[in-house]
This record gives sequence, structure tokens and C-alpha cells, in this order.
Amino acid sequence: MRWMRLVDDLVANYVYAMKSEMPVSDVDLFDDAVLLDPYPTYAELRGLGPVVRLPANEVYALTRYDVVRGALADWETFSSAGGVGFNPAVNEALAGTSLASDPPVHTQLRAALTENLSPRALRGLKGRIEAKADALVADLVSQGSFDAIDAIARAFPLEVVADLIGFTGAVRADMLAWGKAANQVIGPLNQRTAESFPIAGALYEWCANVTQDDLAPDSVGHGVFLAERRGSIPPGSAGPIIHQFLAAGVENTVSALGNILTLFAAHPDQLALVREDPALVPAAFNEVLRFWAPINVWGRVTTKDVEIDGAVIPAGARVAVMLGSGNRDERHYDDPDTFSIVRNPVDHLSLGYGVHGCAGQGLARLEAHAVIDALARRVGRLVVGPETRVPHNITRSVDALPVLEVIPA
Amino acid sequence: MRIVLDRPRCEGHGLCEEAAAALMHLDHDGELVLDVEQVEDGTPQAAAAQAAVRVCPVAALSLA
Repeated sequence: MRWMRLVDDLVANYVYAMKSEMPVSDVDLFDDAVLLDPYPTYAELRGLGPVVRLPANEVYALTRYDVVRGALADWETFSSAGGVGFNPAVNEALAGTSLASDPPVHTQLRAALTENLSPRALRGLKGRIEAKADALVADLVSQGSFDAIDAIARAFPLEVVADLIGFTGAVRADMLAWGKAANQVIGPLNQRTAESFPIAGALYEWCANVTQDDLAPDSVGHGVFLAERRGSIPPGSAGPIIHQFLAAGVENTVSALGNILTLFAAHPDQLALVREDPALVPAAFNEVLRFWAPINVWGRVTTKDVEIDGAVIPAGARVAVMLGSGNRDERHYDDPDTFSIVRNPVDHLSLGYGVHGCAGQGLARLEAHAVIDALARRVGRLVVGPETRVPHNITRSVDALPVLEVIPA
Repeated sequence: MRIVLDRPRCEGHGLCEEAAAALMHLDHDGELVLDVEQVEDGTPQAAAAQAAVRVCPVAALSLA
């Protein structure tokens, strides 16, 4: 019965191949349609496996919650020094910054960056930020119609970060476009990235040339230059620190605040829960971040062969860490496609995790909590027109949200 | 088991305090203080310690 042995061998080989073969998909993570509505595609990729090879993007994509969090925790295997972006030019530009380095180099850069950004350093700002958010929301409630993204999501972080860094004048007008471009160029070399490089370059150049005299005395920005001068941070690190304050502190907070406004406009019942119990403000922000991660995907490079569920990512491979997909993993969150603040998903992936966890998250929380709190107290319901989204390589954000009427609380 | 703090890594986000207020707190300078370091396996204290470790955004806490 030689043929039966042959069949047995074939079946055994097939089972072995099924076990060890890396799932492959022709999905392009940076395709317009995927960027505008990523979640069905993310679900499809999670269904294929925890890691899926995507030839269109030349990456291995980590799709499920556990592997995303695991990779973020394991900086020795999933390195940032090899580049966090998806094209060589951006990885070259970011080389040696705290974003794109590993410990021990990263540790000193991170300390310099967070010295003025940690919750400890920001405690004095809390009252001012809350008062600003409340005044802004009160004013808009009385106006009744406005664009929520322009009037709150863009205006508020820009003001907070500009005051913090101490920059004034014409450059403030460029900051929004600069921040958007700085994230855009993390993507692959598509048209969006190509068009954004000159704009991101203008930000880079401004940060390379800014001096302490351009920044208001007593500002954090001014302090960063003084720290460089007295040698408590490495020579030449002040410029890159200012760059990260601006690029990340504006664009990503604009996205998060816009997502807050859009989601609570669509779910007034959820805003009512916060009004009834203001202790739910942090839970509300966690759920907004989980539901729409401001950054969908971020890069790493493997330093050795990594086996995940029997499939091997080779050493030196570029990895797409799918934060926005892990947040929707049905293996980790019940009913993940429902927006429900009471789930309080404290372990969401949107701010990263571990040594590269978002350095500005303390400031982001101050701003977002202040906005959610003011909205819940003052707004019963935002009556809105349809939101506008423009595809962005990295960021999940709303570009326009017309508020037609505010029903006060 | 023992709660271990990697002090240089701690940035004072305070999420651990929310998860395990009976075990740790931020002092007036925003520095984390471990009020309890040893917890018995399988107790509510151990569960709170595990929650604090899980929620630290910069992985500064661990259990040994």
C-alpha cells in the first residue's frame, strides 16, 4: 500500500506547512480605502493570524492584541533603532532621536525629553489647562455653530503647546501643517509621503535653527536650551526635543481631541454617563483612544528570528505594529466594535507601551480630560453635519466636523 | 511575591496608584512610593499589584 503512505506523507507535509507557513495578504495598509475605514481590513488580517506578511508594504504586520503589546514590551527583539518609519528617508532623518533608538542611548534621550513633560513637571499646568478648556467650550456653546475640529481640536493643543514651548508669531500658523506632515512621512513612499517631505523638512529646519532667544523666557522650550547649555542634556539635543514637542504634541493631540468630539457627538448617551459621574472622565478618554487609535500603525525592526504561533519573522525584517487593530481584537475586548466608556480599557495600545510609551501622555491626558469634563458639564448634545476625513498614512483623525447646533446640558 | 520598581523608568503617570491605592502612592513631589512591597500570592493585594504592573504605561513596575 505504497500510495497510502504517500497520501499520509502528503497530509503530514500539508499539516506541517499549514502550521509553519506565514499567512500572506495582498492588503496595502496605506491604501486610501483602508485608511478611511480600516477596521474591516484589520479584522480580516487578525483572522489570518497574529502575524501576517504584507508584500505590498514589505512588512510583517502584528495584528492581534497580545503580539502587539508583547512587541512593544520587547525592545531588544523589536528594535526602534532600525527605524520606526516605512521608508528609508524618514528612518535616516529620525536616526539617533529618542523615537528611533534603543536603550542605553534611548534612556538618556528619553530622560531629557520627559524632564519637562512628566506628570511631575506638568502639575503646575493643570489648573490653567482646565480653565482654558472650560472657557473655550463655554464660548462655543454660546456661539452655537462652528467647526469642532478647528475651534477645539486644533485650537486648544496648539495654544497649550505653543505656550509651553514659548514660541509666538508667524510660526504658530505653520505648526498644524508641520505636525501633520511629520506623521505623514512615517508612511511608505507613496504620493502623500512625497508631498509631505518638504513640509516636514521645514519643521525640521526650524527646529534645527531655533535658539533660546526665539522662545519666551520661563517657557519649557527656553529651559530645554538652558539645560543643553549647562550640560544636563547631550549637546545638540535641544532642537530634536523641540521637534518632538511640536510634531507629536500638536498633531497627535489634535487627532485625539477631534476623535473625542466626533465620538461624543455621535454618542450623546455616553457623554451623559460622564455628566452623571465625572469620575468617568479618564475612562472616557481611554475608550476614545481604544476605539480610534490616533496612530494606527508604527514600525519596528527585528533583531533576530522571532517565532509567533509557529510562523517565523526573520531577523532584520520591518514590522508593522498595528496599534489600531490590537485595540479591536475580539480575543482581548468583548464586543470591540462598540464604543462604551464604562469598559475603561486602561490597557489600550494607542499610546504604545514600555520604554517608547508616548512621552507626552501626561500632557495629552491633562488636555483631553479637561475637554471631556467641560463638554460633559456644558453640552447635552452636539448636532453635527457629516464629518470629513482625508486619508492619512499614519493618523486616524477627522478633518472637519460642522456643529450646527449645541443643545446645552 | 515582591513588587519591584524600576525607579529611573518611572515618570510618575500615577495609573498604578489608581489601580492599587492601598499598595502605592505618589508623594508631594510626584515620586512613587511603594507602601507595601511584599504581597501574598492569591490575595486581593496580589491582584491589585498585578493590575498596577499591567497598567504602568512605561513598564516601570514588575513582580518578582
